Amino acid sequence: MNQYLNAVNAPVFYLIVAGVLTFITIMCVLFLIKSYKTGLQIGMDEKVLKKTIVSSAMFTLLPSISILLGVIALSGTLGVPFSWLRLSVIGSLQYELNVAEIAAQSAGLSGLSLNELTVEAFVTIALVMTFGILGGIMCCIFFLKGYSKKLQTKPKQENSESKPNFGAHATTAMFVGLCAAFIGSYIGKCFPQGGSDYMPLLVALAAAAVMGVFEYLINKKNMNALENFSLAASMLAAMAFAVIVNML
Amino acid sequence: MNRNQIIDNYNNTLHLLGRVTLVLASILLISVPFIVSIVNGVQPSLSGFINGLIKVGMIYIPMSIVEFLIYTPMLGVGGAYLSFLTGNVTNMKIPVVMNSKEIAQTESGTIEHEIISTISVAVSAMVTTLVIVAGVLMIVPLQPVLQNEALLPAFNNVVPALFGALGLKYFVKSPKIAIIPLLVMSLLCIFVPSMISQTSVLLIPSGALALGIGFILFKKNLL
Repeated sequence: MNQYLNAVNAPVFYLIVAGVLTFITIMCVLFLIKSYKTGLQIGMDEKVLKKTIVSSAMFTLLPSISILLGVIALSGTLGVPFSWLRLSVIGSLQYELNVAEIAAQSAGLSGLSLNELTVEAFVTIALVMTFGILGGIMCCIFFLKGYSKKLQTKPKQENSESKPNFGAHATTAMFVGLCAAFIGSYIGKCFPQGGSDYMPLLVALAAAAVMGVFEYLINKKNMNALENFSLAASMLAAMAFAVIVNML
Repeated sequence: MNRNQIIDNYNNTLHLLGRVTLVLASILLISVPFIVSIVNGVQPSLSGFINGLIKVGMIYIPMSIVEFLIYTPMLGVGGAYLSFLTGNVTNMKIPVVMNSKEIAQTESGTIEHEIISTISVAVSAMVTTLVIVAGVLMIVPLQPVLQNEALLPAFNNVVPALFGALGLKYFVKSPKIAIIPLLVMSLLCIFVPSMISQTSVLLIPSGALALGIGFILFKKNLL
């Protein structure tokens, strides 16, 4: 296990990830400069542009800390550098973990378990996670130019928010299906023929209980700032619960 | 240059810059697992990779297309290029753009909105990167603690923790869609225990079942 963790936390790996993220940051700077200059050229108020920069930075701080908590949650199995990379680009905690679990099973493991992970399995998992998330990028590379032209001719169609179509529900339904499959498997594990392993279900219930408290505070007490932390904090609390249960 | 020329020049530059940098970024991202493979002298499992990619693709390619179609009008051209690369689209980039739109009082579909959304997403992505870099610098010295044997149950149960939390959120949001897939998957895993270790396979019928139920409820205006 230590050999695996040392390999996935090797210093060279940090340097590679830092290099990739530096490239992406430069890309952001280029977009920012071009947009700022164009804004001034077409007569936009410089104060508004500056205010947008400051407010976007402030608005992002809290959710960024939540992403950092996700890096901690993921780093125990996939190492710090890869978790850092994955949660800094393209994906999100729920995508990364779900795909890592699917990839781990496809690589012949019972799941994303530290006891079973090897560097070979890690590379396979990392490849599936990387290729599997490229859908959005490919859509941008091949279709964004054409799609944006269509949108510019019919800008009012943007208001998909006010008139939802099934697309919005489809993502929710897909996540419901994913959760049902995993929770179903944890319930199955509790039975003797499934191995009488109660831990996954207990951890899932603990996470659900903490998330339930967050949902109550967000929806009933209007503590909307908690929305940014609810997922990562629920997970970390449930993971701490697993440590305590294991000690009993 | 008149206004139209400036707008054309801006759009063309964003598309060129966006496409070139996304292609380069994709190559860099793909190269990371291969570099780990070479450095450690190990080979990835080809069958495991193909199997995993098929399962992931069946779920996430349609989702990527839906997200691309829904979110691009809100994000604008530059915002879309940056958001789909830097991720956390629904939980961060869309709210940031909406917040900036309110502040700048811009109308969707206009060049002003394009500029504001691109600036917002670029700043947001940079701030996230900086916060995570600072966090990673703090995590690194904690490695011996994080690798302690006593914490093993925590990291071995990170997936149940995720799906417990997400499950509560989505089941409460859509109980009508959730009840049948949850019941069917639970019964399947109880009576066919071999399916427990095949969750990655179960995801596909479970997702399809939920989608089907969701579609029927949507058509009947029951959602």
